[in-house]
This record gives sequence, C-alpha cells and structure tokens, in this order.
Amino acid sequence: MGSQKRIAKELAELVESPPEGIVVKLADESNLYTWNVYMDGPEGSPYYNGKFILNLSLPTEYPFKPPTVSFKTKIYHPNVTNDDKGSMCLGMLRADEWKPSSRIQAVLQFARQLLAEPMPDDAVEGRIAEQYKNDRKRYDEVAKEWTRKYAIAS
Amino acid sequence: MSLTDLPWNHFDPINHFSAGQDSTSGFYPQHPHSSAFFGHGFAHLSNTLYHPNNTIYFNMNTLSTAEMERFQKLSNEFQADVQGPAVSIKQPSSVIAMEYANADAAFATKTSALAITHPLTRTMKGDGNCGWRAVAFGYFENLFNLQNQLQVHHELNRIKSLNVLLDQTGQQEHLYEIFVDATEDVFNQISQAIQSGIRDDSFLVNAFNSEYNANAILTHFRLLTSAWMKLNTHRYQAFLSTPVEQYCAARIDTVRTEIDEVGLQALVDGVIAESGFAVEIMYLDRSEGEAVTPHHLTQARPIAGTICLLYRPGHYDLLYPAEPTVNMEPVVNYQYAMTSDYSPWDQQGALAFDVNSSLMTIPNLMMDPTFGMAPSPMPAAPPSPYRVSPPQEVYQPPMHASPPPMSIASPPPPPLRMSAPPPPMSSLPPRSSDGPQIRLNPLVMKPNLSHSLPVTTPFKNSSPYNQAHFQNQDFEPIHWEPSDSRR
Repeated sequence: MGSQKRIAKELAELVESPPEGIVVKLADESNLYTWNVYMDGPEGSPYYNGKFILNLSLPTEYPFKPPTVSFKTKIYHPNVTNDDKGSMCLGMLRADEWKPSSRIQAVLQFARQLLAEPMPDDAVEGRIAEQYKNDRKRYDEVAKEWTRKYAIAS
Repeated sequence: MSLTDLPWNHFDPINHFSAGQDSTSGFYPQHPHSSAFFGHGFAHLSNTLYHPNNTIYFNMNTLSTAEMERFQKLSNEFQADVQGPAVSIKQPSSVIAMEYANADAAFATKTSALAITHPLTRTMKGDGNCGWRAVAFGYFENLFNLQNQLQVHHELNRIKSLNVLLDQTGQQEHLYEIFVDATEDVFNQISQAIQSGIRDDSFLVNAFNSEYNANAILTHFRLLTSAWMKLNTHRYQAFLSTPVEQYCAARIDTVRTEIDEVGLQALVDGVIAESGFAVEIMYLDRSEGEAVTPHHLTQARPIAGTICLLYRPGHYDLLYPAEPTVNMEPVVNYQYAMTSDYSPWDQQGALAFDVNSSLMTIPNLMMDPTFGMAPSPMPAAPPSPYRVSPPQEVYQPPMHASPPPMSIASPPPPPLRMSAPPPPMSSLPPRSSDGPQIRLNPLVMKPNLSHSLPVTTPFKNSSPYNQAHFQNQDFEPIHWEPSDSRR
C-alpha cells in the first residue's frame, strides 16, 4: 500500500531528525496509523515546561486525507476542545485545505506553533478565545496552572 | 472568510443546478449526481443561491454569525455523495442528447449535433476531480491507442523526468514518490497490455476506479501542474487574481478542488502537450450556435491523438469524435516504429519531411514495396504495370548537390494519378522493365495525397491494409480464447 510506504518514510525521517520539542513513537509497533507525540510546551508560552502527549491518527487514505491530531493531555487553549477529546481542527488539517504534499512533520510543527501563538479567530473554545484577546493576563495564568496541573509530572 | 469566498468549485456545480425546479428541470439533465443535495442540509442554500430563476436571493446580512459559521462548517466538511464509477465505460453520446431532449432548445440542438460528431462519451465522476481525471485518463487512453511500445517507454521517461520540476519547487522525493509510482504503474500496465495484444481498455478504466491509486495519479498530475505554474509564473499570473503560489496552494495542490481554465491550461502546457496529444474542449452552454463550441488548448501541429473534453458548466467528461481514418493510428504507428529508425513523434526535426498524420495513417505507404499492387482503395485502379519504388528508390530531392537557380533540372515529379495515363518519364529512364514507376516523393505527395486517396471510403474488407472496419460502430474484433466462447 502506498500509504504505508509513505508513512514509514515520514516516520523514519521524524525519528532520525526530530524537530525541536517533538518526539514521535508508534502507539503500537504493529500499526503505522496511530502515533503518540510528545511535545514540549514552547518557551515564552504559558505551556513552557509542560510535556504534552498528543495522538496523531492517520487515515488509510493518507496522504489524500489529512491526519487528525488531538491532545491527550488536558490543555487550556482556544483551538483545542476543552473536553476529553482534546481535538483540534484548523488550517492545514481541514480536508478541503489539506495537501497531499504536506508532511506530518509540518503538521506537528504547526500544532506546536499554535501553542506559542493561538489563533483566537479560528477558535473552537470561544470563551477561551475571548479571554485570550481581552484578558491575556488571566488567560496566561489559567493556561500555566493547567500546564502545571496536567502536563508536568510531579 | 465569508460565504462568498467559499470554494464552490470543489463540488461540481452540475449538482448545484440540478437540484431542480420545474421551470428548468430539464435544463440540466437528470444526472445521477443530482441526488447528492437532496437530504443534505445544504440543498436549501445551494438552491437559493444558485437557481437562475429564483427571485428570493439570500440576504447575507440577515444570517447570524452562528448561521454563517454553521454554513461555513457544512461547506468545509461537504463531500458530495456522488454515485457511479470515477471513469465510466464508453457510452453512446446519444444518451447526452436524450438527457437534454426536453431541455432548452439550445441544449437540445447542440446535444443532438454532438451525438453525430462525437458518437461516444465517457462520464467522469463529479467529485471535484472530474477535469483532472478526464485529462489524465484521456492521456493514458490515447497512449494505449497508439499501440506503440516505444512511445509508452518514451512517455514514461518524459513524465518521470518532470520530477525535476517537483525538486525545483521544493517538493521532497520521499513525499511525492508514491504518486510517481502510481503513474508509472499505469504505464507498465499499458506496456504489458500492448505486449499481450490486449486491445480492450478496461484495465485502464479499472486503474482509474481504484480509488487510492487514482488519487495518487491525479495528485501527481496536480503537483506537476503546480510546479510548472510556479516555474512559469509569467504565463499564468495575468489570468489570476491571487499570486501563483497562493493559487496553487488553494486550487491545485489540494485533494478535490475542481480544475478551472487556468489550471487546465497549465496542466496541458506542463504535462500533456509534449506528448504530442492535442487537447480540445467542447463547450456545451447556452451560447449561440447549433453545435458545441470547440476550443483548442494545444498548438496545431501533427498530433498523435486528441483528448477531447466535453465541458458543461463545472463538469468535464470525455468525448470521442467520429473519426475519419486519419486517427486510425494503432497498426500503422506500430509498424512505423518497428520498421524504421525514426525518432518518436515529438522530435520532429529528426524526420525527413513534415510528417503529415494523414500520410502516416496510410498503411505501409512508405515501407511496403507491394503497396501499389495491393488491393487498392483507389476507384477503378487499373491492373496497371506501375509499381511503387521500394524505399531505397524513393526520390530524394537534391538538397546539397547543385546551387538551386530554380532550374528545370529536377522537374516536379508527376502528381499521383492512377486513373490517367502515366506521363512519360522522359527525364528519368525507368529502372526496371516493368514499366513506368510511381515515385513516392514526399514533397509531391504531402499536400494532396490525402485528397487523392479516398482513404475513408469503405471498401472490400478482404485486405489486411484496409482499416475501414474500425470505423464501423458495430465492429468488434474477434477474440479467440482457448476456453471461452466468443462473447
């Protein structure tokens, strides 16, 4: 299958030269389509020092359909659903904007960049987005607190 | 992003229009795709926005933000529930005429005429890729029809060499190689089919109906088009409202964004044109006239085949013209390639003279010394003493010999007229005692041979050189299979 060939190559590339703050592993060695992603909160963001676990799931139609990315670690962020799914869907991850020439590494870097710079205008959590825009200080506090609570192993 | 920016084209507009109302329900045919909108929350929106006769237009201002967002979401996630194969088998185009029989007179007239000029059609699934698919399929189909292994090989190498374009525009091989692999696989299938003497193209139809591989092929063609546009910005920028980079990101590099005119032209320029296949669009619209409006996307030149597209607003299918014998290449080109050292079609400079495709389709014209004796298409061909010179005796114009003061030294050889008495060949003594010879001088034959030989006239079907039976709609080659009886 073409999808396996391509996914295997992308995985190999990510394992050999991981981008900053991102480590990937197969959730199950026998299944190329589900990855665990370990992401460091970027410096300068309220998520700094946090270790976030994400789930990256690849459709069998990959790369003709986009991967889906969700946060397994709870996170306070306008673009991540504040529920047990922790899903995010924007920009390059949308089916109608997805390009088969995009790569998983770009997806993950996009997700990490989003931690540094949320996109409140494309938010899934409107309340957090409002707060991010109008009361950044409070947003930072809550995000930091959640990071401490859920993303930093004690 | 507002509603007006929605990428409407990613669901083929044939759907928009056909969610019908009485006054115009015949205007667009009862397309199998048209049910896609029924039962979908979007039907109302599309109907209202698009119906030409609808007086109630959406007032965008009355939509609340929430509603707008809901529509936006629906739009983003929308995937037309289109039925049917991605590429259909060939069907009579009279079907199209039937669909429009009760429609607007302009469509009824044009489709009836179309059924005569282009008796066969192949429908493409209206899933946002129909234009890409029509061109890609048409390309491979034409290549297969040539029945020329050398040409298949040549084209495979040419397409693979276009990887350079991808590299130059920053695409990475480990990301695009599966697309190239899928395309290469089709070339290999064509090659194998030719080798095994398979004339049935259902393997190609199957290849394009296998979703993953077909997606890979279309993505390959999309990426090549995108790279071509980025490397030839000056040719396309003037036709675009956004920078080429942005246009490609939004319209070409995506998975199911329908092709538009600029993208189509770039696809043809960058990927198809070098193959020697012409691309032609027949516009079926309400413009004046009694026939579909043709538009050529390739320069006129000797062509190896034609990809003929039928365009209805927002949707592309393939058409197959009623061929004069001119495009009956298969056997001819095969022999041409087998019996000569000529370069492939597109290296025109290498040919001794301008290869006129109508010339090349006359079986064995240049190669077969017995041509003149073969049961001949010419009316009342006398049991003449003429014989055609074998190739080595073909008249060669004295290119380098003497400075040309327009001398009468080499008079133009007599025109090829079999029914008239042979002009005396006084200046050149006969080379054999058989009698005067017909000299197949290309310079003489080029302009008028196709007129003087009624190659399209059906005649006795006993000759192996006679291909008239290919023209017969009911013609069916007899396949012999050891186990099966004939179907």
